[in-house]
Amino acid sequence: MEDHSKEKQHIVSYKENFGTWLGLMLLTALTVAVSVANASLITLTVVTALVIATTKAILVAYYFMHLKFDHKLYRIMLLIITLLFSSFMLLTIVDYLSR
Amino acid sequence: MAHFVLPNSGHNYDPESSKLGMWLFLFTEILLFGGLFIVYFVYRTINSDAFLRASYELNITMGTINTIILITSSMTVAMAITALQKGKEKFAINLLWITLLFAIAFLINKYFEWSIKIEHGIFPGMEHYNGLETGQKLYFFLYYFMTGLHALHIIVGAIFIGFVIKGIQEGNVTADRISLLENSGLYWHLVDLIWIYLFPLFYLIN
Repeated sequence: MEDHSKEKQHIVSYKENFGTWLGLMLLTALTVAVSVANASLITLTVVTALVIATTKAILVAYYFMHLKFDHKLYRIMLLIITLLFSSFMLLTIVDYLSR
Repeated sequence: MAHFVLPNSGHNYDPESSKLGMWLFLFTEILLFGGLFIVYFVYRTINSDAFLRASYELNITMGTINTIILITSSMTVAMAITALQKGKEKFAINLLWITLLFAIAFLINKYFEWSIKIEHGIFPGMEHYNGLETGQKLYFFLYYFMTGLHALHIIVGAIFIGFVIKGIQEGNVTADRISLLENSGLYWHLVDLIWIYLFPLFYLIN
C-alpha cells in the first residue's frame, strides 16, 4: 500500500518548473505587447488576451498544479467545472445580446 | 457505549482524499470569482467605452510587475514541493520564505496602486468618483472589489504557507507526508490563476 502510493508520486524537476515559468513569462510579454501595440483592433485584443490568459491558466494547472501527472479524475472534474462555468457565461451573454 | 480503539487512530494520513478535498474547495473559489467575471463581462458589454476610459487610470507597468511577482512565486512554491520530495528540507523552507517575500511585495505594490487612486479621489463615495459616469463607476467598483478579494486570498495563502514552513521545521510535513505543502501550493497557484485573468481584463483594455 505504502509502496504503491510512493510509486505513483511523480517528482517534477526544477528544470520543468523553470520551463513553465519561462513559458508564462513569454506569454505575459506577448499579452502586454499585443495590448499596447494593437490599440486600434479592439475586439481582436479582447479575444487574444483571453486566449493567452487561458493558455497561461492551462500551463499553471498542468505543470505547477501537477494535473498532468495526477489521476485522470482531477482533469475530468476540472473540465466539468469549466463547462459548467462556460454555460453560465454563454447563457448570460446570449441573454444580453438578444435584448 | 463500548470502548474501542481504532487500529490506526492518530495516524490517519490520506493524501489522495486531502487533495480531492482541496480541489473541491478550489472549485468553489473558481465559481466565486467566476460569478464576478460574469458581472464584469455584462457591465463591460453595456459600457464598453466607459470601461476603456476608466482603464487608462490603471498603471500597466505596476500590473505587469505584480504579474511577474505572482508567476515567479508560483514557481518557487512548485520548486519547494520538488525540493521536499527530494528530501531537501532546508531548500524547501528557503523557497517558501522567498514565496512569502513575493507575497509581501505584491501587497506593497497593490497598496501603492490603491493609495495613488484614492489620493485622486477615485474610491466609491469620494468626490471625484461620484462625478464619474455610471460605466466608469462600475469599472472602479469592480476593480476594487475583485482585486481586493484577490488580495485577501494572497493574505490567506501567505498565512497557509507560513503554517507549512512551521510544519516542515517541526517535522510534521516531510517527503512522506507532503500533503499540506501540496495543498498550500494548489491554493497559491489558484490565486495566481485568478490574477492571470484579472490582469488583462482590468489593465489591458485597449
